[in-house]
Amino acid sequence: MIFKIAFRNTFRQKRRTILTGLAMVVGFTLLSLTIGLSDGAYGNIITMFTRNRIGHIQVHRDGYLDKPSLYKTIDDLSAVGEVIQSTAGVEAWTPRAYGAGLGSVGEKSTAIQIIGVDVARETEATRFDQKVVEGNTLAETPSHEAVIGKSLAKIVAATVGSEIVIVSQGADGSIANDVYKIVGIVESDDDATDRIGCYLHIEDAQELLVLNGRVHEIVVIVSNINQVDKITRAIETQLNDPTLDVAPWQVVAKSFYRAMQTDQQGDAISRLVIMLIVAIGVLNTVLMSVLERTREYGVLKAVGTKPMQVFWLVVCEVVIIALASICVGAILGALVNYLLSIYGITYPEEITYGGMKLKTLYAVVNVRCLVIPAITVLVSAAIVSLFPAIKAARIMPAKAMRTH
Amino acid sequence: MEVTNISGSNSENLKTTLESDVIVTEGVTKVYAADGIPVNALNGIDLTIQSGEFTALVGPSGSGKTTFLNIISGLDNPTEGTVWLAGKVLSEMSGNELSDFRRDNIGFIFQAYNLIPVLTVEENVEYIMLLAGVPKAERHTRVIAMLEAVGLTGVANRMPTQLSGGQQQRVAIARAMVSEPAIILADEPTANLDSKTGADLLEMMRRLNEETGMTFIFSTHDPMVMAGATRLITLRDGRIDPDEAR
Ligand SMILES: Nc1ncnc2c1ncn2[C@@H]1O[C@H](COP(=O)(O)OP(=O)(O)OP(=O)(O)O)[C@@H](O)[C@H]1O
Ligand SMILES: [Mg+2]
Repeated sequence: MIFKIAFRNTFRQKRRTILTGLAMVVGFTLLSLTIGLSDGAYGNIITMFTRNRIGHIQVHRDGYLDKPSLYKTIDDLSAVGEVIQSTAGVEAWTPRAYGAGLGSVGEKSTAIQIIGVDVARETEATRFDQKVVEGNTLAETPSHEAVIGKSLAKIVAATVGSEIVIVSQGADGSIANDVYKIVGIVESDDDATDRIGCYLHIEDAQELLVLNGRVHEIVVIVSNINQVDKITRAIETQLNDPTLDVAPWQVVAKSFYRAMQTDQQGDAISRLVIMLIVAIGVLNTVLMSVLERTREYGVLKAVGTKPMQVFWLVVCEVVIIALASICVGAILGALVNYLLSIYGITYPEEITYGGMKLKTLYAVVNVRCLVIPAITVLVSAAIVSLFPAIKAARIMPAKAMRTH
Repeated sequence: MEVTNISGSNSENLKTTLESDVIVTEGVTKVYAADGIPVNALNGIDLTIQSGEFTALVGPSGSGKTTFLNIISGLDNPTEGTVWLAGKVLSEMSGNELSDFRRDNIGFIFQAYNLIPVLTVEENVEYIMLLAGVPKAERHTRVIAMLEAVGLTGVANRMPTQLSGGQQQRVAIARAMVSEPAIILADEPTANLDSKTGADLLEMMRRLNEETGMTFIFSTHDPMVMAGATRLITLRDGRIDPDEAR
């Protein structure tokens, strides 16, 4: 009966009920939207960060990630490669060899990072060819070619066709130097790498650095990013080599990952603010309706309704409105997020996140963008109704029945 | 008008547990502080109501009748003084105890009907029985019988707003009496009824009083109702007027 009264009460002041519900619907939709957009943006950032740059999983010699060194190498590339290739869920993999050196074009010299890449594999895994903005990508066979970052090209005043002299140290302790022809200039979404990166064919790099077929890093791309942890463990088990370290992208890019998590916590705070504003609006209308029905609550109490039952009556009324609002909000939220997942929001200016440039923000429709707002709206509605409900429960019947 | 089929059980319990003094007040005063100006609505009421009484509370408008009825049922707190309800000090009862006591033992008829607007006539009348956990079938038969007894047939499914004032008053009466409480407190129950319906109601109350021993206390301006009362208490400026008591 209490529920029946609560239910019918919601139909009495239709305009107020709609207003209260609308506040909740707007709150729900905004929450849903912020979650959808934020999840979409971070998903996008993660995809860019992993797909185009560090990959989903990386394999190194133990300790390389903490303190990279020319000497910490993966020695049996073909064996490790075979294991990775045979692991379920792996889409592509590519080896890399790194070295530090001095690059000179004409009179100008600067510190560079030598990045030896397996051109065919790198193209498949991280779309290397698409980063080339001038000239060509590297030939698939070693032919003393180099591709350098755009900023680096500016620093040493190099153009396509220039020759770059690289001086470095070989793994055998010898001084290494050689000349390479610059065939292309790359612009990735990573400023730091563009400033020092000098890509060579992996065999050229191995020859320069006297690595004898050894590499420093294997980048693995998986088909489903949500299975990274599982695949990491699978590779680890199958390699069964304690001198090798298999790490998911969250570990490889520890500081990036942490910064992103902190940002997401920041988003949670803005959600809290949205909810607080909605809650205050709802509190106001609920207080109004309790005030208006003081007389009825008085009558209910006079004829023997317990204070607790009056309390539930008020809470019930708000929760009924909240549940209806959640249904409407879920449809709206899903719809808005769906539309934004297709059309996106384009920034007037590119923004940079973690060294990556973003122009358009796409939302996603996921469970989170529906469940989190639903719980938030329901809980805050219940909390907001507490105070008016207590007020109603404590009404003194005689006094209440004198009000009109 | 006949009372049929109303086989109450709540009142039986109370009647056996209650000694003859159902309501006792001692030095009850009530001061309202309306806009800072204190109004002495009651000035020391000492009164004993015994089980089975049929008492009329009379007095000019503003003499404190409604205030007194509210205080003896715990709807309002006295400023000073003590009320004993069935031997218990009212101010010492918890909110839940009071609710249960009212639900099981007191039927109210208010001056301004006070029906629940979102409930139908039938739902309004059965509400208290529902709170008390009376089974659905029994509730229905009792409600129908009670509505018939107050002369309201065929309106069970209407909303209160679809009834006239007098009809609403009769629904309120039905609500108060349907569970046969031990005590009925009625604030001008006949004020909005025509004289015929008023007389019928009085007769019905009188019969319930005689047959089941229900205690009635009602305020009234109606000479006919006064004449039917077995005891008359006159209030004047919040005091009992000893000359006009009967
Ligand atoms: N809540 C209140 N605040 C201030 N004054 C009040 C309040 N309730 C009652 N009074 C005053 O207390 C006095 C007694 O009022 P009460 O309603 O008990 O009179 P009554 O005998 O029932 O009158 P009536 O026959 O008109 O119903 C009146 O002077 C009234 O103005
Ligand atoms: Mg009155």
